[in-house]
Amino acid sequence: MKVSIEWLQEFVDFKLSPQELSHLLTMAGLEVEASETVDGDTILDVSITPNRADCLSVLGIAREISANLGVPIRQPLISVKEDETTSPDIEIIDTEICHRYASRIIYGVRVGQSPEWLVRRLEAHGMRAVNNVVDVTNYVMLEMGHPLHAFDLNRLEGRRIVVKRAGDVGRFKTLDGEERRLNRDMLMIWDAVRPVAIAGVMGGLDSEVTPSTTDVLLESAYFDPVSVRRTSKALGLTTEASYRFERGTDIEMIVRALDRATALIKELAGGRVTALTDNYPIPYTPPEVSVSLQRIRGLLGIEIDESSIVEILKRLNLQYKKEGEGFVITPPSFRRDIQQDVDVIEEVARLYGYEKIPSTMPAIRLKRIEGNDNFRTIRLIKDAMVKAGFSEVINTSFLNPSALDELNIPDNDRRRRLVHIKNPLRREESCLRTTLVPSLLNNAVLNQNRGERAFSLFELSRVFFDRAEALPDEVMQMAAIHCRPLRPSIWEKAHNGFYDIKGAIEGLFDFLKIKGYSFQRSDKPPQPYLNPVRSCAIVINGEVVGSVGELHPSVVSLYELRGDISIFEINDLEALIRAIPSRITYRQLPRFPYVERDISILVNKDVPVAEIEGVISSLNSEIIESVRLFDIYTGKQIPPEKKSIAFTIRYRSSDRTLTDDEVDELHSKIIDTLRHTINAELRG
Amino acid sequence: MIEELRSIASLAEEEIQSTETLNALTSVKAKYLGKKGLITERIRSLRSLPPEKRPEYGRLLNQIKNRIEELLKEREGYLKEADLDRRLKAESFDVTLPGFCIPFGHLHPATRMLNEIIDIFVSLGFSVMEGPEVELDYYNFEALNIPKDHPARDMQDTFYISDDVVLRTHTSPVQVRVMEKHTPPLSVVAPGKVYRCDADISHIPMFHQIEGFMVDEHITMGDLRGVLEVFAHEVFGPQTAIRFRPSYFPFTEPSAEVDISCVLCNGSGCRVCKNSGWVEVLGAGMINPRVFEMAGYEPGRYTGFAFGMGVERITMLKYGISDIRLFLENDKRFLEQF
Ligand SMILES: [Zn+2]
Repeated sequence: MKVSIEWLQEFVDFKLSPQELSHLLTMAGLEVEASETVDGDTILDVSITPNRADCLSVLGIAREISANLGVPIRQPLISVKEDETTSPDIEIIDTEICHRYASRIIYGVRVGQSPEWLVRRLEAHGMRAVNNVVDVTNYVMLEMGHPLHAFDLNRLEGRRIVVKRAGDVGRFKTLDGEERRLNRDMLMIWDAVRPVAIAGVMGGLDSEVTPSTTDVLLESAYFDPVSVRRTSKALGLTTEASYRFERGTDIEMIVRALDRATALIKELAGGRVTALTDNYPIPYTPPEVSVSLQRIRGLLGIEIDESSIVEILKRLNLQYKKEGEGFVITPPSFRRDIQQDVDVIEEVARLYGYEKIPSTMPAIRLKRIEGNDNFRTIRLIKDAMVKAGFSEVINTSFLNPSALDELNIPDNDRRRRLVHIKNPLRREESCLRTTLVPSLLNNAVLNQNRGERAFSLFELSRVFFDRAEALPDEVMQMAAIHCRPLRPSIWEKAHNGFYDIKGAIEGLFDFLKIKGYSFQRSDKPPQPYLNPVRSCAIVINGEVVGSVGELHPSVVSLYELRGDISIFEINDLEALIRAIPSRITYRQLPRFPYVERDISILVNKDVPVAEIEGVISSLNSEIIESVRLFDIYTGKQIPPEKKSIAFTIRYRSSDRTLTDDEVDELHSKIIDTLRHTINAELRG
Repeated sequence: MIEELRSIASLAEEEIQSTETLNALTSVKAKYLGKKGLITERIRSLRSLPPEKRPEYGRLLNQIKNRIEELLKEREGYLKEADLDRRLKAESFDVTLPGFCIPFGHLHPATRMLNEIIDIFVSLGFSVMEGPEVELDYYNFEALNIPKDHPARDMQDTFYISDDVVLRTHTSPVQVRVMEKHTPPLSVVAPGKVYRCDADISHIPMFHQIEGFMVDEHITMGDLRGVLEVFAHEVFGPQTAIRFRPSYFPFTEPSAEVDISCVLCNGSGCRVCKNSGWVEVLGAGMINPRVFEMAGYEPGRYTGFAFGMGVERITMLKYGISDIRLFLENDKRFLEQF
């Protein structure tokens, strides 16, 4: 809301600089967001919160200044001399959404340009001058906060006004020339046969005041805020009038606003004024709000005395009666926001000064609320990922549905159960994510395009699956992407990035003390976007919790990525968190020494190391403490279809020192078993 | 004889002090104290001396032997040290070469800030609760005293999933969800993502908020101020001043915008604070009795405060980040600064 300081000074006396006035208003809850100087006057741009419709006018802001400074307000001088005894013919049919309609007619006006002072004021407040009659209605709206409308009386069929809903009308042309599609419930202003304005929103093209107009019917009415808001929203049409009506106008000011406009029109355009028609079928009854002294002091935490409160109530025009240890307040009709005791308390606090409320620390009884400790574990997980070299990214929760096709996600996959946004910002952001992978790929693209070649990123966020309930299933997921150049620098070890990212998962699981996890390959690749021969499922206690692998070459080229790119996904982080043991149990340190023996075998190239480890652990010996791989070799001196694998087995007993014989016997049993099960040949 | 002994002694001393290697020292030792050493031989022939000369001669001989042993030991220590010094000098390497490690990653600055804020409130006894990001219109608006068709809905541009389901526009619905399940005393913070249908130079459609609220029988607006002062001092330093301005939120009454003294100019006025010396950091207020009513609390029994802040905004002020869009871009070079 723009407001001129010069104009304000017509209603209230103050000697404040524009800066001081801005500060006063801001600290009263009317935040001044900007100010500009126009022709020696200063125009403030004041942000008015939705509860303070009473401040959407010069007079309203002047009232605030008067209350804050404790100086009186000067109401505009209004005097109308009636020239005719007739009065307009007004009928309200839908009274529940039009509580009051007042009107006068001015015959024989000379429509023309407004004087310069009026044009300048309108323009300084962001409005365009049209003609003297229309300009006066706008001027009075800016001044007093009540929107008015002027009709060309001779274009009103039957020279009468009827207020009722649109019903079957269908279409209506507003004065901006647009054809609007109406719905049945919209409140309209009619003449004897057809609608002539959308009540409280905009007038019609056919009845507007033009240079050839001679007789004007002025409307000053109260329309129901909810009704106006619905109409305005449905039409996508917000006007200065609808903005004020939907926030609530002052029903008791209607006649004064009408008379102010009538007098000004007569002054600027001449004419003869009729008597007043004031249809007021649903009179305003102000609420009575009780508030106790103790409640005021208790809620604000201040020691304020009764007389200070009384002074504040007076300044704000809040009528009060003493009642017991408190007051019964009757707010003025322009303060519809005051309905409960706390509304009065806020007013007291505002004028007392929020800044005078002293800081205290609450005396609260401690109470632990059960239910949500996952955030701690999630913080641990993020910290572990950071220590493994991954940086956290946060992406929006939006998904471009075509990303699922790019990742070859099948039609019956859970990830196709998309939640759609009705009003997305862009089509590419029209769904909620069911997977974090596309976001990470986009992050990789951005970073590569900016010249970064090596990076490790992870995200831990919720994804959303549609289901047969009002709210979707929100699942916490984690995913990571690891990208390194195909040809690492000479000092980096030549291995696939896959093992870096897999190492991060293993490190994470060990850190969280998760046991019983494994990485399992099957004929079906774990994810359609992963390289089928360089990927596997992550399994905890027999349950697949995620997948890890190199990005499929076709996805790499589709996204125009470069380098060696691996990804892992944990599909249900809460399942992972459940697998974390609830406590750590100490195990006695070993008291007897270990014996180590190395094994070096030749096996077929396609035998996975996990299978060899599986064979050894299937022997179920209590004295095999660990099996540690230390070399894999293919190449010279080895048949092309074979690989050489070497590992160290550590033997230890918990209750005795092992003898060489004992160890040798078990060790040869292991070698025999490997020979029979996987065709291993002993080397060297 | 005695003269002879003395000259052996001085000769030995000279020889020991002039040896330069441990090997040479071993031969010097053999020459004097070995099986056929000069001193050893004289000790052996002690018995052939006349009895009256033995004590004096013997004593002197012993003294000389001890002295030589002492000198040998000293010299050995010195030579060993010199030896080690030489070896170490040959083994020196360039300590200015970079160390080997997998460099740590970085938490996203919003997470980092959120953790910091949560820790402050947890240290004051607050519990942490979360709620759904896709939320019923009821919890996001109606139970917070924002009915359908209320102009307060314009304060937040909302993404709709259906007429009754929205992407939550603030973390305040957690307030209602917690109050429906738990009775006071309550002190809770609720962090999480929120969504606004708004994207331009200074807005992103998804950001983080943290909501805090405290409900008991005698909570005052002064308490709200006290708690927020602790927060401001912890995050921005003890010199930070806070300022309450009247404002409007349907779910609090009285409501306040809370400013802190500008962290860039310390209140003297700059571009960030538009020369006012103050920057807005959060909204707060005393919980509206209608919210308690909606949660089913006994009317009039409890009071409470609530506040909500945008985490990215706090982060920007704290670290001097000027463009909010960086938070969703995930440029490695941005992330690595935190
Ligand atoms: Zn500043």
